[in-house]
Amino acid sequence: MSGGRRILIAGIGNMWGTMLARRLARDPRVEQVIGIDTTLPDVDLERTELLEADIRSPVMARLVPATEADTLVHTGILWYPEEGKPARALHDINVIGTLQLLAAAERSPTIERVILRGSAAIYGCEPAGPSFFTEEMARSFPLRTRFQRDVGELEGYFENFARRHPRLTCCMLRYQPEIGAGLQVPLSRYLSLPVVPVQLGFDPRLQLVHADDATEALVEATMNPVRGAVNIAPSGSISLSRALRVIGATELPIPHPLFGPALARLGRSLGTGALYGDAVRLLRYGRGVDNRRMREDLGFTPRFDAAAAIEDFARHSTSRRLAPLPGVAGILEGLGRMR
Amino acid sequence: MSGVSGTSIPEAGIRFLRSVRAAVESGVDPIVAVEAASADLPKSLRDGIDRMARRLRGDYYEDEWGFDEEFAEGAYPFFELLYDHWWRVETTGVEHVPAHGRAMLVSNHAGSLFPFDASMITGAIMKRHPLPRWPRFMVLNWAFSLPYLSAFMRKVGGVPASPHNATRILEDDGLMMVFPEGVKGTGKPFSERYRLQRFGRGGFVEIALQTGSPIVPIAVVGSEEIYPMLGDSRALAKLIGAPFAPITPTFPWLGPLGLIPLPSKWRIEFCEPIDVSGLGPEAADDRRIVFEISEQVRETIQAKLLENLVKRGSAFV
Repeated sequence: MSGGRRILIAGIGNMWGTMLARRLARDPRVEQVIGIDTTLPDVDLERTELLEADIRSPVMARLVPATEADTLVHTGILWYPEEGKPARALHDINVIGTLQLLAAAERSPTIERVILRGSAAIYGCEPAGPSFFTEEMARSFPLRTRFQRDVGELEGYFENFARRHPRLTCCMLRYQPEIGAGLQVPLSRYLSLPVVPVQLGFDPRLQLVHADDATEALVEATMNPVRGAVNIAPSGSISLSRALRVIGATELPIPHPLFGPALARLGRSLGTGALYGDAVRLLRYGRGVDNRRMREDLGFTPRFDAAAAIEDFARHSTSRRLAPLPGVAGILEGLGRMR
Repeated sequence: MSGVSGTSIPEAGIRFLRSVRAAVESGVDPIVAVEAASADLPKSLRDGIDRMARRLRGDYYEDEWGFDEEFAEGAYPFFELLYDHWWRVETTGVEHVPAHGRAMLVSNHAGSLFPFDASMITGAIMKRHPLPRWPRFMVLNWAFSLPYLSAFMRKVGGVPASPHNATRILEDDGLMMVFPEGVKGTGKPFSERYRLQRFGRGGFVEIALQTGSPIVPIAVVGSEEIYPMLGDSRALAKLIGAPFAPITPTFPWLGPLGLIPLPSKWRIEFCEPIDVSGLGPEAADDRRIVFEISEQVRETIQAKLLENLVKRGSAFV
């Protein structure tokens, strides 16, 4: 197989990097996949080579050119702390790591395309904002959380990099949060709680990307990247209250000033992990983005719209559920079946 | 199944509860008991129960803006009551709202504490238009940071007042209701009632030009008297982060009772649409054209306001 793509995945150790590698290993257009991370996934994939290295280390400057890759995909931008990657290390991993990676790409003559798996958090969650942010609307509001500022900073570096290297196709993917049954991310775990704390009187609009669509969009962008930023989001939106009804969870309203602290405390004992700071605003004001560029320029049509992603999550979710209470819902449902 | 014709709803309800109790006392599972008893309920009641059960399962539709038509229909009777009996709204020219395709509805804005003009214009379209459809309206951004109000506004068709939102709704061939006076309209003292304020910088005209949407000017009379604003408490406004804090004859003196709007008499006139599509989207960059159209709309509404004030006569009876 000559003439196929040689793809370097930085951050192959996390689920998105691993899932991308799995998909690419089956793709006839791909000659080889090289994965780099500090912790390597326990997978044995065809045409895939794994390298243990830290993207923040100067070793990258020699390692990246040596792979002779033509496509660099960075999937290692982290939204929330993980095991072995505490909150105070996130800035380092996200900003300094990306910076080192771009510097290494600069020294690599074979690289033609660079794809970053970033976040729609750069738009923020704004009550006064447009209901659908398009790609040009980044930074129209102040960057309020630490993660937002990190994303803003690394996007700034990336834009600069793209300007200095017009030969390269540089693509920034701005992901809405992902959802999937069994997905070990805080928001999915939050929605899997039998009783879900919500902010009293607020009902945010959400767009959660189905995990399958999240991976397929990344495959599409890896194989056919476009220049500039692209929002990755389902069409439509769903309100949190409707999502919880579809999932069958019970709402527990908490006055919104107490929601953040309560969740930080509850989260650990309930096994949702600490919801990252952006989630508190997301679950108050919501966020919608425009996905026309993804559908038309990138040519990717998601299989699930915002409501379908939740419905699919509800179908496949095997989370703890309270036994069906003989409450109003059950009684009314029984009545509904009568006709 | 026994027939229910001839029995009133209260009777059927009592019979329903009795049979549930009898069944539960004889050891039947409560859900089964309710199921069995509901067969005797009138169809309208069963339909309502069915709809509630469906909504509790999350089985309903919201559009991409979070507009929930079923919810809006549920809230409609309350606004209809205000429309018919409290404010006795008289509507003219509703046929000027196009039955299909995009249009921008531009109205004067008043009602210091809680502007009801958007809901009454919506009511006029839903009640009087031969082919009614739900318009979307721009809501002061501040409202979207408040609990309850933010969720309610969104479900009945409100969108944050961002020009991008107006453009998107018009591009999707919707009805976009805007209030170019904004807070300057709602926050003006009672002594300045029916005097139109500045129409912003004409942003609404730019959007209408860019999207080729006809502009339908609307004059609303009656909205100024519902909460006559006698004063403005700067200190309170600052404290709660509001753009202004009105003091009316009843608010805040009577507490929550002060939130009841006064029963003024309303007239809503929809004026002839102004077609701007011939000018092309480039005209949006021409300040002179934008300003001229903005003034034309403003003058139309101001003239119609005065005309309808005379037609209305006394404000309350």
